[in-house]
Amino acid sequence: MTNTIEIDSVTRQFGRVRALDSVSFAVPEHSFVGLLGRNGAGKTTVMSIMAGQDRPTSGNVTVAGHDPFEHAPTLAQISYVRDNQRYPDDYRLHHVLRIAPNFAPNWSPEVAAELVEGFRIPARTPIKKLSRGQLSSVAIVLGLASRAPITLLDEPYLGLDVTARAFFHTVLLRDYEDHPRTVVFSTHLIEESASLFDRVVIMDKGRVVLDAASDEATETAWVMSGTTPAVTRLTGNAQVLSTSTVGGLMSATGFGALDSETRELAQELRVQIVRATLQQLVAAYGANDAASDRKEEVRSA
Amino acid sequence: MSTLISSTKLHLNKREITFAVPLYITGLVAVVSVLISFLFWRAGSQPGSEGWISGSQSNPGILYSLAGFLVYLGVQSVATTFPFALSLGATRRGFAGGTVLWAVLVSAYLAFVFAVLTTIEIATDHWFAGFYVFDVYVLGAGDLSRLLPTVFLGTLSMLTIGGVFGAAWLRFGARGPQVIGVGVGLVLVLALIVLIPSAAEILGRFELWWLAVTAAVVIALSSAGMWSLLRSAIVR
Repeated sequence: MTNTIEIDSVTRQFGRVRALDSVSFAVPEHSFVGLLGRNGAGKTTVMSIMAGQDRPTSGNVTVAGHDPFEHAPTLAQISYVRDNQRYPDDYRLHHVLRIAPNFAPNWSPEVAAELVEGFRIPARTPIKKLSRGQLSSVAIVLGLASRAPITLLDEPYLGLDVTARAFFHTVLLRDYEDHPRTVVFSTHLIEESASLFDRVVIMDKGRVVLDAASDEATETAWVMSGTTPAVTRLTGNAQVLSTSTVGGLMSATGFGALDSETRELAQELRVQIVRATLQQLVAAYGANDAASDRKEEVRSA
Repeated sequence: MSTLISSTKLHLNKREITFAVPLYITGLVAVVSVLISFLFWRAGSQPGSEGWISGSQSNPGILYSLAGFLVYLGVQSVATTFPFALSLGATRRGFAGGTVLWAVLVSAYLAFVFAVLTTIEIATDHWFAGFYVFDVYVLGAGDLSRLLPTVFLGTLSMLTIGGVFGAAWLRFGARGPQVIGVGVGLVLVLALIVLIPSAAEILGRFELWWLAVTAAVVIALSSAGMWSLLRSAIVR
């Protein structure tokens, strides 16, 4: 399978802040990749670079075979609307719907109309006065109706109510099936979107800490729960990403295969071991510095 | 594949502020000019008299009132439109070129509108009442061969100056326009210090085409500056 996007050792420095630190990963063609991590992890920065809106301080980015920066044919294949997208002064919805087809060769007015109606986006209200959820809806209209071969969705759920999120999922999946495209999707609502992802890339502090197929990502990730001494004993030599303690109880999220001896000991010590969910894994990777000394960087091809 | 034309369409997408608001402002200034004329009339000045005509034609209000709006339009055409243009897939080169092309179109539009209004004003003997709004010295005193380049180059200068300030804001934040403003101010003061002893001689030799050349230089520098600043501007 060919890669539509290749990020190779990309570093982005803003003054003294290193927003991206030697980030590398690839996005296969027509895959659906979840870009996950805490606020400030570097998700928006890496998406900006993929979209040609920014340039790396060092490293290389290839999108559809080209460096996207200032390459019009590549940019025409990309749809990227920021979570905090700015619109021209006094813009209303009809301005957006009128101009977008000029830049998006595959623009679908039918999808746009369906989304506008489904999200109930007010037509007459200036965009700068829309609510957070309505702004996300406008971004989704741009992202999906453009039918761009490379669609970058940056926090599309922000402020959306549960009905709107379900509607978005329905249209997204249906249109993705009819018109396959490469999608990179950043979100904090991981439980709701986990089923969409073919791959996940988890970032923390500007670095990629996990890059794996979604079904493999949590395959060897686990959560142990029990008394603090028991969990501490069991996790002694394990790759622990984060721990949390409440009273005499401890929960530890970790990564790596557990041998049968450990599992038997866990039963003996009444420690429960369950497979970690993607959300638990992302939370564990993003755990605060207090636990970061126990974090292991895991990168896989 | 170029995004220049699409970027121009992006600017033209805001039809009211591009095409109608300059007319609203022009109309408002026309009304104010007429009211001022009424004031002079009531004070004893006679429409059609030499003093009336000379005083009315010396009123540059139409130019000043539009200049501020045009600089604002130039600023916002870059500052608030650039982030959206990038999201739509414009290149920086295409956006800068499209913005200049849009400014040229707006300038041509305003030059045409002013030419039409001036023609009507003269044909109606100044709105049937001796009111001078467009037939003023600053616009060529009814001479269309002076009015057209004046309005075109003046509008284009204002829009591109606004554009370079907007680009400086995108590139460097609030410091960008401040540095440009202070820098231009310093250059002008230094030029005055150098030229002031010869001011009388220079003014004596003054030719109108000097202004056209100055406007062309301002437009070229502003457009190049805008492109240069946008090349490295990022949206965050």
